[in-house]
Amino acid sequence: MASQENTTDLKPGYKVEVEGEPYTVVGTEFVKPGKGQPFSRIKLKHLKTGRVVEKTFKSGEKVDVADVEENKMRLLYKEADAAVFMDDKTFDQITIDLKIIGETEKWLMEEILYDIVFYKGQPIDVQPPTFMELKITETTPGARGDTSGRVLKAATAETGAKIQVPIFINEGEKIKVDTRTGEYVSRV
Amino acid sequence: MSLESKIPLLKDRALMFKRARLFFEELQLIEVDTPILSPTAPIDLHIDIMETKMHDKKVGYFHSSPEYAMKRLISAGLTDIYQISHVYRYGEEGSLHNPEFTMVEWYQKGCSFDKIIGDTLSFIRLFLGDLPVRAMSYRQMLLHFVSIDYLIATDNDLRAYIKENSDSAPSSLSTWDKDTLLQYIVSFHIEPHLGKNELFVLKYFPASQAALSQVQTLNNEKVAERFEVYFEGIELANGYHELTDATEQRKRLIESNKKRLLLGKEDLPLDHNFIAALEKGLPDCCGVAVGFDRLMMLRHKKPILSEAIAFAWSEL
Repeated sequence: MASQENTTDLKPGYKVEVEGEPYTVVGTEFVKPGKGQPFSRIKLKHLKTGRVVEKTFKSGEKVDVADVEENKMRLLYKEADAAVFMDDKTFDQITIDLKIIGETEKWLMEEILYDIVFYKGQPIDVQPPTFMELKITETTPGARGDTSGRVLKAATAETGAKIQVPIFINEGEKIKVDTRTGEYVSRV
Repeated sequence: MSLESKIPLLKDRALMFKRARLFFEELQLIEVDTPILSPTAPIDLHIDIMETKMHDKKVGYFHSSPEYAMKRLISAGLTDIYQISHVYRYGEEGSLHNPEFTMVEWYQKGCSFDKIIGDTLSFIRLFLGDLPVRAMSYRQMLLHFVSIDYLIATDNDLRAYIKENSDSAPSSLSTWDKDTLLQYIVSFHIEPHLGKNELFVLKYFPASQAALSQVQTLNNEKVAERFEVYFEGIELANGYHELTDATEQRKRLIESNKKRLLLGKEDLPLDHNFIAALEKGLPDCCGVAVGFDRLMMLRHKKPILSEAIAFAWSEL
């Protein structure tokens, strides 16, 4: 049987299973009416869909701890509808469907380490490093003049990600990108 | 929040302790200080007690309110008393809760239910200014805010209301009893609206939520002479026309212990000296407990309790 956690002891970051679905705790609120029944209102983010829901429990009620593991794995290569990752320590390889990789597909680059989230042994999410260095493969030619970096133009990186870059960046140059926002950080 | 930035509030706390004591002096109450630790415990279904090891007896229990000890003093003849005391509640931590907090509690002999409510409002106004007041009975409040008559509503009516009005209803809803259902509705659907720019007095609780108050029959409804005061959705005070019947008191404490066991909690040792004091005779009196830290929080328009005390548990 899965281990359980008292709902009053939940803290942000805990992984729990509620009504058969895996969530990460993003917030907790303790509510107590005078001398009455205390409640815990827990804000939960679904581990697969990212949808945020609120659940209320009587204090003392327990929830299952979700069988969730995180592992760093290196991208070996991309296939038509999947990507193959390897664990550097065990050399285990795993093929993950692009449907699961979702939005992260535009940050997939060989040899990079990704955070892979497993739920009940199955991969459910792939997270890229916060910052990545990417080569620009397509953009309009660099313009002189404005070097402030505040005037931006469209560009495509080697992973396929569309990024707004300063107008002085040329094709073939490497830039640093924040993958959380998809924003240009600096020239490398 | 840095400790340095709390200093103005902490200076004001000292001032308000002084003003509180002046207030009680004018009411002709005298200050007492009863022990925090006892080999017996306050017994309340929903208040969990902290424990520590003592040199002789196995366990010392931290008081969750000085009520029992103060009533022993009243029974002995020290009738008009107040106490400013740190109290302890296991597991209560959040934006409006700290496991250790400062409680102001007082009792007055021969004081009517209306007078204790009036005195409580005057005390709160020391902190929050001259706010207008609105009062409703528990029954009126439910009718007014959620159109439920709790005397008629069945458990399933209450469940249906929660399901219709919540994004995601609690999954264990089907197992909740009537008081739990009512407390959920009050906590999440009513409380946030209570006391907007006014002090809200909630009085005459259902008899099932009497705690240590007397139960009366009012217009064919059995009600507890218990009240609470709210400001900006936050509960500030809880008071009673005190139960003086020793037999009834013992029954309620034993009942609370039984319900604790059913909830998977430990039962607690009964304070026989407290019961004996009631047997000897507790004069007719009213009493109230007010949360000093919450008053300071609201007085300084702080969003969370930890900003109104020097060191919250999470800051130690």
